[in-house]
Amino acid sequence: MTRYIIRRALQAIPLLLLISVVVFALANAMPSGLMAAYENNPNISKEDLVRLQEELGLNTPAHIKYLNWLGNTVRGDLGYSLTERRPVTTILAERIPNTIYLTLVSFIVSLIISIPIGILSARRQYSIFDHMATGFAFIGQSIPIFWFGLILIIVFNVLLKNPVTGRPLLPGGGMYTIGAPFSVADRLQHLILPVAMLSVFQVAQHMRYMRSSMLDVIHQDYIRTARAKGLRERAIVYGHALKNALLPVVTVIGLELPTLVSGAFFTETIFSWPGMGRLFVNAAGLGDYTVLMAIVMLSALLVIVFNLLTDITYAFLDPRIQYS
Amino acid sequence: MKRLISLTVLLLTLALVFAACAQPAQQTTAPTAAPAAKATEAPKQAVAPTTAPAVPTAAPAAKATDAPAAKTTSAAPAATTAPSAAGQAQIQFTPSAPGKKGGKVTAAIWQEPDVLNPLLSSLTVTGEVTYSVIEGLADVDPNGNYYPRLAKEIPDQSNGGVSADGKTVTWKLKDGVKWSDGSAFTCDDVKFTWQARMTANVGVIDTVGFRDIDSLDCPDPLTAVVKYKTIYAAYRGNFGTILPKSAGDPTKMKDWAYNTKPLGTGPFKVDEFQRGSFIALSKNPNYREQGKPNLDQLIFRIVPSSEVAKQLLRSGEVDVMWNNTEADYPELQTIPGLKISDPVQNGGERLILNLTKPGEPSDNKTPHPILGDLKVRQGIAYGINKQQIIDKLLFGKALPGSGEQNAGFFNCGVAPFPFDAQKAASLLEEAGWKVGPNGIRTKDGQPLRIKYQTTTGNKLREDSQVLIVEDMKKIGVEFYIENQPSQLLIGSWANKSPRKYGNYDIIMYTTNGGVDPNSQMTNYFHSSSIPSEQNQGGVNYSRWNDPQTDKDITEAAQIVDLNKRKELYCDAVKRVVDGASHIYLYQRRSIQSARDYVQNFQSNPWASAFTWNAQDWWVSK
Repeated sequence: MTRYIIRRALQAIPLLLLISVVVFALANAMPSGLMAAYENNPNISKEDLVRLQEELGLNTPAHIKYLNWLGNTVRGDLGYSLTERRPVTTILAERIPNTIYLTLVSFIVSLIISIPIGILSARRQYSIFDHMATGFAFIGQSIPIFWFGLILIIVFNVLLKNPVTGRPLLPGGGMYTIGAPFSVADRLQHLILPVAMLSVFQVAQHMRYMRSSMLDVIHQDYIRTARAKGLRERAIVYGHALKNALLPVVTVIGLELPTLVSGAFFTETIFSWPGMGRLFVNAAGLGDYTVLMAIVMLSALLVIVFNLLTDITYAFLDPRIQYS
Repeated sequence: MKRLISLTVLLLTLALVFAACAQPAQQTTAPTAAPAAKATEAPKQAVAPTTAPAVPTAAPAAKATDAPAAKTTSAAPAATTAPSAAGQAQIQFTPSAPGKKGGKVTAAIWQEPDVLNPLLSSLTVTGEVTYSVIEGLADVDPNGNYYPRLAKEIPDQSNGGVSADGKTVTWKLKDGVKWSDGSAFTCDDVKFTWQARMTANVGVIDTVGFRDIDSLDCPDPLTAVVKYKTIYAAYRGNFGTILPKSAGDPTKMKDWAYNTKPLGTGPFKVDEFQRGSFIALSKNPNYREQGKPNLDQLIFRIVPSSEVAKQLLRSGEVDVMWNNTEADYPELQTIPGLKISDPVQNGGERLILNLTKPGEPSDNKTPHPILGDLKVRQGIAYGINKQQIIDKLLFGKALPGSGEQNAGFFNCGVAPFPFDAQKAASLLEEAGWKVGPNGIRTKDGQPLRIKYQTTTGNKLREDSQVLIVEDMKKIGVEFYIENQPSQLLIGSWANKSPRKYGNYDIIMYTTNGGVDPNSQMTNYFHSSSIPSEQNQGGVNYSRWNDPQTDKDITEAAQIVDLNKRKELYCDAVKRVVDGASHIYLYQRRSIQSARDYVQNFQSNPWASAFTWNAQDWWVSK
């Protein structure tokens, strides 16, 4: 097992290098780079443009820029943001906790909702409950998520009012009421809409996985055997079936974990959530390649790590799987 | 049976979902033109495609801070007492009542400031936030007149503020002004600002004007003597932001705490900047005006788009919204208790006609085979139904384009070219273009076919192209569209941009002149600004070459008398309009909206921010 892990870790190095080259090339090839933003600003004169290009190192040849970036990154220095003019590490340190706060809550909420529904749906296949759950899953997976977010704002912020205060029922964005003292209730209120938006898709997806994997298991011979020997239904489902049915779901969930850090682009953007997704969108729009690179490389690294972790967990959950 | 029931349930759920969404969904989809239009139309933002100065002393045309006189004695005028312009109502903006104290106003902005240090920020939105924190020596009021902020008065030759040779400007500073931390504001801060601006290798964005300063002396703490190397016409707006010398070592600017928490003399101070979410300002206890500001807090909420901003304005979660367009009117008007402040902006969307033969680069001596003929140009101008564009695409809210100076003191009051298809047709006939078999005019076997370009991805522009192409078809002219991304179409000489190279027939975009017409008129219409290999920064894209226009513009820059200058500029403006080198389509408004309980809220088309008078705002609710 140890050898397997070491081998996988070593394999990751060329992969990360390859990703960094490709992303760096793409980030630098963007026609709407930082200079384009400057050129469209009528307040910046021609002379200043030439000077800025020099000062910000924007006209250094791409391969030199890449090697500089690589050298610094390996030494743990992610550089300065070209737009915020602050160290990228400082920026990430600000954003990551906010993102995890949002994504983790909605991830947990979605698991709490989707796993039981998935199980129930499978046990009562073709019942009204199953059909409703399936119908919901289709809606959840097919509505455009940004549209759904806007609808949430319109319904819960614009149309519905708090009957007591006459103010909007739920806040339409932000992490907390600006300027108000810290309050758990306030934080929770601000969480409701973004979590709803984020988990609708996750619930729909996880529920479908859970349902189909449960159905798979329920029709296996050993379950029939268990039934035949007169075990109670509860014991069959939770004692025998669930453990095995969870295996594929664990894989899916494991592969989703990196997005807890890389953030939710749409949700964070719509609800003014100061997280990684919003940072990424902003950096891409402004051509801030140091920030862009840091986020993409972090995401890539996490994907590789969580892939490995998922594989390892799998080995523990299923003794038949051996790595050598 | 079971299937049937579940299907019904499913359909019902769907129906409910859609029913719940139907009305609001309509609201969000109605003004589809808005976001697209905003991308490049937003006033003073992306609008004016890099109008680099042709004359070294002139400031960029779009900068709303130009001042008179490019080449000679700058002594001048437009300062605080400019007489009211004919035909243009003066905007009333002086606060009436002292106003109620306390409360907060939340404003929605849908772009995020990169950094709050004005020296390092390249985004327009930054100015919206910092305007009420960081003050400059002078700025422009809604009527287009300069007024002093940190200065006692606007220096000019009549009050001895500008030397006889026009190169030395003496600013008298207000007494007793304090930074929000309580320290005194002095001339040293003005000097520091210049030095910080000129610091190399820290990525200062804009050094216009500052790099023309030879020396800056402080004979006493409240006097700043600025010596320019050459005459700098836009000196009034030069020190638009002043930094405190306590900000830090300019060579370490990127590590300044000032970048996220600037220290200013304005009515508000920055409490917190949470990236991606909000910027909270609160009352500056040391503000120089007694009893102001009225508000305790001014919050900027960073929202994803103007669509979301409108919804939050409706729900009352925000009180003010940044930067609307005409397309927002239908929705804004359904929000109860909203007031819209929409003074007209100077300049506007126009067709720029190439008067010389297109080429790579164009030969500026040979006239354009079609557009070189004045009658053809005038025919096109008569053939465009401007009102239709305004009614169909701009909700009737813009004004028909008239000429270059159409707001502020220098408003020439030129009448818009009337829409007259018959006159258009007869002008084209006179020019020798006869209607051919397919309805398109021809002359010597050549069809009247003209390339018509604008920037891609802007819905308003693309829609107006469709209308204009139709208008042209009716008078037998074929316009064919060949749009390009803005970086290509309006790029630099080095990139062989069609505009610079003169390799186009007609290009459509917006440009706005400043308070003083000098730089816009010189850049766009003086023959010395025609772009060429030797003059790559030239901005006279139409290649308008008219000795009388040159004479007017040059002369106007050399005299002091305001009314005489206006007369000269207006003569030039009229010549350009009659010569149809630019065909003016529509003149837009600077639209800002706020809930009606935000008192004294007033859009200022000349200032860089809707918060320009936030010290006078108060909340009556």
